[in-house]
Amino acid sequence: MTLLKVEEIETYIEQYHILQGISFEVLKGEITVLFGRNGAGKTTTLRSVMGLSPISKGQITFRGENIGSLPTYEIARRGIGYVPEDQGIFKDLTVEENMRISILKRDESALEKLEWILNLFPDLKTLWHRKSGLLSGGQKQMLALARAYVGDNELLLVDEPSKGLAPIMVEKVMQAIEQMKEKTTVVLVEQNFFMASTIGDRFYIVDEGRIVHHGLMQELKEDEDARKKYLGIA
Amino acid sequence: MRMISRYTIGLLPIVIIMLLAAYPFMNDSRSTLILLSKIFIFAVFAMSYDLLLGYTGIVSFGHAMFFGIGAYAIGIVMYKIGDSMGMLLLALLIGVVLAAIVSYIVGILTLRLQSHFYAMLTLAFAGLFTVLAEKWRSITKGNDGFPFPIPDFFRDRTTFYYFALVFMILFFLLLRRFTKSPLGRVLQAIRENEQRTASLGYQVVHYKVIVSVVAGVVAALCGGMYGMTLRFVNTSVFSMNTTLDALLMTIIGGIGTLYGGVIGAALIELAHELLTSLAKVHPIFERWIIFFGLLYILVVMVFPLGIAGTFKLWLKRKKTSIPLGKRDDVPW
Amino acid sequence: MNLDVIVNLLVNGLATGMLIFLLASGLSLIFGLMDVLNFSHGGLFAWGAYMGVWVYVSTGSFLLAVVGAVLGGVAIGFILERWIIRPIYGNHLQQILVTLGVMLVLSELLKVFWGPNPLNAAVPPYLDGSWQLGGIILIKYRLFIIIVGILLLVGIQLLLTRTKLGLVVRAGVLNKEMVQALGYNIKRIFSIVFMLGAGMAALGGVLLAPYSGVIFSEMGMQFAILAFIVVVIGGMGSVQGSAVASVLVGLSGAFMAYYVPDLSLAVNMLLMVLVLLIKPSGLYGLKR
Repeated sequence: MTLLKVEEIETYIEQYHILQGISFEVLKGEITVLFGRNGAGKTTTLRSVMGLSPISKGQITFRGENIGSLPTYEIARRGIGYVPEDQGIFKDLTVEENMRISILKRDESALEKLEWILNLFPDLKTLWHRKSGLLSGGQKQMLALARAYVGDNELLLVDEPSKGLAPIMVEKVMQAIEQMKEKTTVVLVEQNFFMASTIGDRFYIVDEGRIVHHGLMQELKEDEDARKKYLGIA
Repeated sequence: MRMISRYTIGLLPIVIIMLLAAYPFMNDSRSTLILLSKIFIFAVFAMSYDLLLGYTGIVSFGHAMFFGIGAYAIGIVMYKIGDSMGMLLLALLIGVVLAAIVSYIVGILTLRLQSHFYAMLTLAFAGLFTVLAEKWRSITKGNDGFPFPIPDFFRDRTTFYYFALVFMILFFLLLRRFTKSPLGRVLQAIRENEQRTASLGYQVVHYKVIVSVVAGVVAALCGGMYGMTLRFVNTSVFSMNTTLDALLMTIIGGIGTLYGGVIGAALIELAHELLTSLAKVHPIFERWIIFFGLLYILVVMVFPLGIAGTFKLWLKRKKTSIPLGKRDDVPW
Repeated sequence: MNLDVIVNLLVNGLATGMLIFLLASGLSLIFGLMDVLNFSHGGLFAWGAYMGVWVYVSTGSFLLAVVGAVLGGVAIGFILERWIIRPIYGNHLQQILVTLGVMLVLSELLKVFWGPNPLNAAVPPYLDGSWQLGGIILIKYRLFIIIVGILLLVGIQLLLTRTKLGLVVRAGVLNKEMVQALGYNIKRIFSIVFMLGAGMAALGGVLLAPYSGVIFSEMGMQFAILAFIVVVIGGMGSVQGSAVASVLVGLSGAFMAYYVPDLSLAVNMLLMVLVLLIKPSGLYGLKR
């Protein structure tokens, strides 16, 4: 079932034409990975879906509703969670406060989700009253993922979670995302092909604001030519 | 059509200057000469403010402070020491040096920070100078101020009128030269995009401090000229209303144009005159700041280019057919 | 120098500090949340004073005067935010310029409604007079201001740390975009904070009126300058910083006013200049 459908969106930042017609589809329960070089438009794509960088053309449909022109907070309330590249955690607030702010409605299911995610990231439980700015890079990433997850979201947009992390942490984060897939749907922006290819179901390659190639992750793994051509790796 | 309009526009200032030069021969009403002299002086004052706001994108809420420094320097020297030509030059020099020092200090303290710090600090410093002028009674005679003599040469209103006219023309040319110089180009680059200018290797803070000192010095000279016009000085030169005058004249006239300051000064001074005379009709006109304030808010919100800027845009649009009101045209 | 003078200067300084705090904390929060430096904030303070005195004179009830002034301040704040600040949101220079214009118009309007001359303001009878405490005279109304100030400080702290709104406000100061991405309408939060700040400024004004005994339209600008000094010293966006800096500025003002009255503003300016030189983000400034 298609959860998110992005059709031919175009986005300008100041006078720069960053997205020049991006289309992709996200199926429920899958991990969809956006690959591409630096500056290709991956981050802007996520920001456009989130309404943070408004689109000038095209359509974004989430659960059958056109959300392309909604303000960010309305999009968030429809059930899309966002983990930006810099994690976007509130550094002066504690871990607990960071989690509390993302729970819009404190009900049974929210508490269940909270419990589930804290079992996945037991570190957060021990750091519960610590200022989040004092956490390590990996812990911050976990907090950001956990925060997006508990926000009653059906779709998570995760921007380069491996960035700046030690290899062992990257593996941990990827495993965590894979486990979160049981409960939710993820769009993942990644430069780290090997990590992302182990957990991703489907991929899109972004270049100069367009999708240049897409398919099942399995196909990309087997297609050395395409990897060389689009990602520069063997 | 385009030829005609460009031709007329090039000719217009010359015609106006010739008319102004001939004016005392047609009518030597004292009050009109004083009014016109004041317009010339305030035009320069507005231009000095335009250097900050229009050319560099700096908001100052204490421009009155420099104006007041110049006015008090003249008043105190003329009154306490003597009213010779030499003393007048000394007084102007004192005003200029003081203004340079104060603007340098304020600039170095806040121009490296976000824009509102400069606005805040200039506002507070201007408040400090107002208090100083009120409290240092032995020199300033407090709130009421004092009259003072000026050199005989300038006592004749017609002579002073020409002096003020030359002052305006001279400073218009000087400041235009300044804005078109390489330094002026850097200032405009800062206004357009500060980060990009910095990343090109320019020490943005230095340039901002330089322009704030230049603006302060020119404003002090205007204050001195103003003091010579009235031959009287009191704390009102330091007041918020004086700063408001600079703001109004620059913004209504049109920022980033220099000559907008001339248009603004003429309009505002004439409006002052008109509203003062209307005050006899209805007391609401005594509260003329309300009208100016509302006009000011309106212009800043919906007409941010002012008269000259909108005119310039209109000309540009005629030439290149750029749609009016495009975001890039608004210089802030 | 005797104890009596010291205690009284302390009380004066604290009382003035509390009034400045009411003005500065709103200014600081509004700035922290929305990057809007509201130059018209002092106008709300003066309006609070005039509206309060007007209600007090016409009804004889100080409580009504306070309530009326606060509600009036909130109403003016609503109008300003909705029709002046919001349309030019995100454009700093325009905002700075416009809010100064609003300040001037607000001050002049006071003269239109209540005349250009200063008005007298009386202390309500039950807060008038003083207590004797071992030879030290304590003026009741000043203590009253200090108590109200402390209550409000505690109240704001509770609001910020114990409620969801407070949590969102604190988060918004740190990262506006993320707050929206979590599903909060930041514009609405900002409206609320702006009105709250306006109400507190008006409260400061109405409480000042009986304290100084006389109100005039320029008082808004005078106190606004003190509030600016306070937010620079305390750090933009920090309520705690505003509280500490307000007390500092209030006390230094009171003591200077006693010894060298002409220099009191200069000393506070000097404090501000020092902070700008050493730590421009202020004592409690956030590094964003």
